[in-house]
Amino acid sequence: MYDAKLDFLRELGNIGTGHATTALSQMLQGKLFQLVVPDARMLPFEEAADFIGGLEQVVAGIFVAVSGDVSGHMAFILPIDSAMTLVRLLTSGQNEELDEMALSALQEMGNIMITSYLNALASMTDMVFAPSVPGIAIDMAGAVWQSVLAGAQAADEVTIIRTDFYADGSAIEGHIIFLPDEEDFVKIARVMGLEDM
Amino acid sequence: MEELFVNMGQIRSLKSTGVLTTVGLGSCVGVTLYDSVAKVGVMGHIFLPTSRGSNGSTITSPGKYADTGIPALIEQAVKLGAQKRRLVAKIAGGANLFPNLNLNSVSIGEQNIAAVIKNLSNHNIPIVGKDVAGNHGRKMRFFVETGRVCVTAIGKEPIEI
Repeated sequence: MYDAKLDFLRELGNIGTGHATTALSQMLQGKLFQLVVPDARMLPFEEAADFIGGLEQVVAGIFVAVSGDVSGHMAFILPIDSAMTLVRLLTSGQNEELDEMALSALQEMGNIMITSYLNALASMTDMVFAPSVPGIAIDMAGAVWQSVLAGAQAADEVTIIRTDFYADGSAIEGHIIFLPDEEDFVKIARVMGLEDM
Repeated sequence: MEELFVNMGQIRSLKSTGVLTTVGLGSCVGVTLYDSVAKVGVMGHIFLPTSRGSNGSTITSPGKYADTGIPALIEQAVKLGAQKRRLVAKIAGGANLFPNLNLNSVSIGEQNIAAVIKNLSNHNIPIVGKDVAGNHGRKMRFFVETGRVCVTAIGKEPIEI
């Protein structure tokens, strides 16, 4: 049932990210977003650590804890160039550097995307997914990803649902990551009539 | 010069020469142990303060936790010819990258720092250099020939600890 579970997780990622990028697209005067095939994996901890490439690359990371019927953690991670492009689009070109205003625009955008993602899962499963206030960091990808995993108290095996997307050629790219707590995954599967997983 | 990368939860070591590097310390704490006489260096990248709560009776990667990682670092150093009483430690990391996100009352970074300091002190290993806490990620490079440790961060001058 391992493959069926991963297929199901991929589908969740696809639906969630579809809604999230639609929300972002509406904020950006209809820029078209494309999704890369969503990826879901259950990885041993050591491999989960390597799941995000380019450890020294500077990225913007937005991070929330999810509580309610299903708990877990979500992160929205994008290269710094993409983050700046988004900020320029969101502020009509008024922001050329990552100041307070830009950070707050990015944080709000991440918040809207994550909320849209969770709303899609909530309406599909009729369960409550409540995000916390988002945290934002501009730092080395490795440090951001590591802090996300630590926040999620990642154990020996980590379930990761990641969907990559890009827009505007590839001027904007990023990934949305959902780390559901393992015991809660069973609840989602049950609601969806997939109890054997 | 040989450069070995130490991933999250790993422990690696070198003797005489080379560099041990760990990239992307956020809330994690990088720990180096050095015996300057034997020129033995080991580095760990500690992820969480305690192994309590991890499932299973056997811990596959002791380097992941401070309570199991510090003894494992010492063992590794001794295996390469270091003497425990000569070991000195340097530590970096333990930041809180998402300060407005109060997942716990004390951040994981702070908990990691406290656990590493306590476990080193239990083994009477002095901490001779540190760059910890704050809200930024770090990269740590450990030059085994001299024991020098260099810490870099985005938008900051590199420092030696």
